[in-house]
Parts: sequence; C-alpha cells; structure tokens
Amino acid sequence: MTVVDARGLVKRYRTGGEILEALKGIDFKLEPGEFVSIMGPSGSGKTTLLNILGLLATPTEGRVELNGQDVTNLGDRKRTRLRKQTIGFVFQHFYLLPTLTAVENVEVPRLFDRDPGRTARARDLLTRVGLGDRLDHRPDQLSGGQKQRVAIARSLINDPTIVLADEPTGSLDRDTGRQILDEFQRIADTEDVAIVAVTHDELVNEYVDRTVHLVDGLVGEEALDA
Amino acid sequence: MLEPLYRRFPALLMASRNLTRTKMRSLLASLGIVIGVLAIASLGMFGVALQYSISQNLGGIGNQVTVSPNPDAGVDNLTERDIREIRRVAGPGVTVSPVKQRIEPVAFERGENTSQLVYGLQQPAKVYNASDGRIPEPFQSGALVGSTIAEEYDIQPGTTITVNGTAVRVRAVLASEDSFSVFSPGSSIVVPANSFDQRGYSQVYVTANSGEEANETAMAIRGALNDREERVNVEELGSIVDQVNQTFQVINTVLIGIASISLLVAGISILNVMLMSTVERREEIGVLRAVGYQKRDVLKVMLAEATLLGVVGGLAGVLLSFLAGLAINQQVVNDATAVFRLGNGFYLAAAFTFGVVVSILSGLYPAWKAASEEPVEALRG
Repeated sequence: MTVVDARGLVKRYRTGGEILEALKGIDFKLEPGEFVSIMGPSGSGKTTLLNILGLLATPTEGRVELNGQDVTNLGDRKRTRLRKQTIGFVFQHFYLLPTLTAVENVEVPRLFDRDPGRTARARDLLTRVGLGDRLDHRPDQLSGGQKQRVAIARSLINDPTIVLADEPTGSLDRDTGRQILDEFQRIADTEDVAIVAVTHDELVNEYVDRTVHLVDGLVGEEALDA
Repeated sequence: MLEPLYRRFPALLMASRNLTRTKMRSLLASLGIVIGVLAIASLGMFGVALQYSISQNLGGIGNQVTVSPNPDAGVDNLTERDIREIRRVAGPGVTVSPVKQRIEPVAFERGENTSQLVYGLQQPAKVYNASDGRIPEPFQSGALVGSTIAEEYDIQPGTTITVNGTAVRVRAVLASEDSFSVFSPGSSIVVPANSFDQRGYSQVYVTANSGEEANETAMAIRGALNDREERVNVEELGSIVDQVNQTFQVINTVLIGIASISLLVAGISILNVMLMSTVERREEIGVLRAVGYQKRDVLKVMLAEATLLGVVGGLAGVLLSFLAGLAINQQVVNDATAVFRLGNGFYLAAAFTFGVVVSILSGLYPAWKAASEEPVEALRG
C-alpha cells in the first residue's frame, strides 16, 4: 500500500503583507521501503514539503493521505499522535537533548508511555546502528556521525512507516555521510521503512531509489531509479 | 536512587536534567524560594514563640478576677453580704480574698512617716507567697511587706515598722511573682483585715484554677450582684490576655505578609529563568513536539522544572527555618526544643506549600509559551 499520497499541495505564507507561495501544486507519492531524496535550491519549498509530509504543517490547498488515511485537516492533537505512531525525524543538527544519555535520547519519544520494554528496545536500536558500546554516553562525548546514528535510532523507536530526514548529512564529513546513508539504505531495505531525505548533498543520490527535484515550488524533472 | 521515581514520572527525569544544565541559574532561582520560605517560616515561628512566652508570663492573670464597687452607682465599698454572695456563687476551688485598703502614715525603722497604701487581708497566704519569713495563717497580727519596699528600706522578717502610730513586726517579705499579676506584691504593705476599723471592702480578689473557671465565676458574680443595678465592676483579666494575643496575631500576620513579598519576588525570578530557558531550548522543544510530544507533555516537563525548583528551594528553606526556629526558641523561651510545637509545624508546612505553589504558578506562563510554540517555527531556529 502507498505510504504517502499527496496531491495538489499548495502552501501559502503571509510574510509582512506579501503572500508567498512556497508550494504551487505538488503531487508526491511514497511506497514502503522506498528511499527518496528531495533536492532543490534554497527557497524551492523542500522543507515546506517535508513539514507537510511530516504532519508538522498543513497545506493551504491539496490533500494528503497517510497509509490510506486522509490527514489533511487533522487537529494538532491528532496530528501529533499520528506523527508519533508513523513518522520518525532526523535533523541536520541532530537535536539530541544534551543532558540525556544515548539510550535516554532514543527513548525520548516514548518517555511518556508506560512501556517496560522501552529501554531494551532503545539499546537494541543503538546496537543495530553500531553504537552498542556508546549506550550511556552523553551527546558531547559522541562524534557527529555517532550523534546522527543516535538520532536515527530515535527516529525508529516507534516503528514508523516513514523517516523524514532534513539534510541528514549536512553537518557531517563525506565518509561519515556515507556511513549514515548506508544506514538509511539498510533501514529502507530491511525494515521496509520509507525514507525521504531533503538535501543539497549530491552524495545522497548515490543511495536513493529516486530523486525529486523542486524548483520554485514545482516538481522539476524526475530522475527514476539510481 | 531516583530511577523508580523517574520511571514513574518521566517528566521529572527531563526536568531535573534540564535544571542541572544551568546549575548556577537554577541554584539562584531556588535561592529566592529558600529566602522566601525562610522569611515566612521563621517569622511565623517567632510569633509562636513570642505568644508562648507571653502566655507563660501572663498565664496567671487569666485565672484572676477582681471585683470592685461601682462608684457611679453610689456604691463605695463591698459589704460582708456581698462577700458572702461572692463566696456562694464562686465554686469550691475558687479562692475569694476580700481586701481593705487605705492610705496610712507608715514609718520604717524610726524613719519619717510616709504615706503608703496599706492593704488589709484576712488570708494573704492564699494570694501571696513569702520570699523570706512565713505568712502566718490565720493572719492576726504583724505585717507583710512587698519586696520592693523591703529592699528600699532594708526590711527583714523581725523588723519593726510603725503603721498609723502602731508598731508592728514584719512577719514576711512577699515574693515578687515572675509573671505579671494584678495582685503584684512589690510595693504592698499588708496588715490583718481586722486591724482596719472600716467595715466595707474596697476590692475582692478571686483566683480560679483556670481561665475558664475564672470566666464562669465572673459571670456568676455579675449575675448575683448586678442583678438590679451595676453595683460592682467585675474585671476578668483573661480578656487582657486575649487582647494581647490578638494584637500579636495581627502584628505577626502583617510581618508574614511582608515576608510573602519576598516569595513573590522569588516567583518572578523563577518566571524569568524559565522564560530564558524556553527561549534557549526552543529547538529542543520543537524536536519534542516533532517526535510526538503533545502540548500537555511539554507543559508537564516545564512545570516539573518549576516544581522541582520550588520543592528543592522549599526543602532547603524548611531546613534552614527549622535551625532558625531552634535559635529563636532558645532566645525567646529559653528552650530550643519548643520548636517542636504544633504551631511551628504549621508555619513550616505553610511556607513550604506557599513556596512550591508560587514556583508552579511562575512556571505556568513559560510552560504554556513553550508548549504552544509551533514545532515548525521552533525548528526553523
């Protein structure tokens, strides 16, 4: 089943009297286990699209279906719950809580659930991303690549169907970037999680199944299959 | 150690870690609460100690009632019948001491005559204690002098003084009471009532065993003697104690009110600290919302921080207040263990509660602000 089916997405912002159209009618589909990159110059609407797909924002026009469910106009509370159940996030700057250990950071999304297996699952996820020996380290004791792996483990703690990554390699050197992309590819292939990465980094395109180019709020040429 | 607590209240885990991030700032914020709690609790305990020491000192007069004739009704003295009536209505345990009084020329040790107020009592032993010598019972002859006069004129038991031209031997020097009393014997000269030739009594001292009994007796005396007209004035000294207590209560309440202002200031400093940290942690809070935290979850974490500041500050404040209470009680009532009285516990608990409540209230606005931030906006930086 299609994970995401978005049609005719339009997003307008009002900035100081002027109306800015960030998305001008975009269709976007995502299948399970697919690894897709979204590329485009600054201001092309990449992040806006990611926010809408991630249920962090609602489109001005158009319709979004997530796992067959219409999620276009859900209220904040329902969107938040659905986001928690189905979507994982990875950010350019990792955004780990500096006061929590790696394991605790991975647990954060489920911290308020009464779930006795939470810690074991967090440890398991960290071990799978190769951080089995860094479980109780704080973020400042980890390298950039390790932090991003912690962030990836965190994005997977709720068994999402999609992971959305905003410039996941943007703060990493090339080798570390490759390791992270390997990790994404492994997750997409073995866990059947669809991954969308917004990026400037051409390196990402070596790993993805498909790249969507955005130009001025419209989808440009679509390059199929790497 | 705190693991089970954190497991039960996950917000506490994040909150306590967040507070340790800016240790000095958190410390200063709760220092405000410490000071506020200390101010309120120690002022409250000071009031309790003061009240206790007053009621210790004034304790005696609460049991005392004086009956005197009412000159406005044309009554100049109390008759034997009045005395009988008073004895009748007063309970069996109540001491009734009729007093005659007159200003008479008195000479000490061949000195000049001076005018002194001389009291005539039948049974002075029921009202006074002797510090030197013995108060004879029944009191038929001789004289008793108060300690102030005894000191001034160097009088001991056995000394002879001249009262109204008659030489009498001093039998005892009256002990000055520790506590305040209307029957203060300090400058009294007491002679047997039968040496007065006047018939009526100028006053009656009634001493009951408790303030309550004194009150009942006073009412009974009023009922018996003031039936048709206000023949006598009945003064209950218990009401003075009540008034003094009330006055102290008012002063204490005002002081505590002033101390509460320091807690409000502490609340503002918590508000400030929390607002700063919501601004600093904007992105983190955005991430929390992105990974599925509901607004109320963010609210919980932020309020847990404010609560922790309040609880930590409050506990430290209570501990310091307790130490202050020991010192206060040692000073005021000479007994440090008096800090364990119930009233002190009340003030400690009230100050602690107030401190925590102020912290939580101060955390409300920053918490609400953090929770209602749009995650997209927050993550944009």
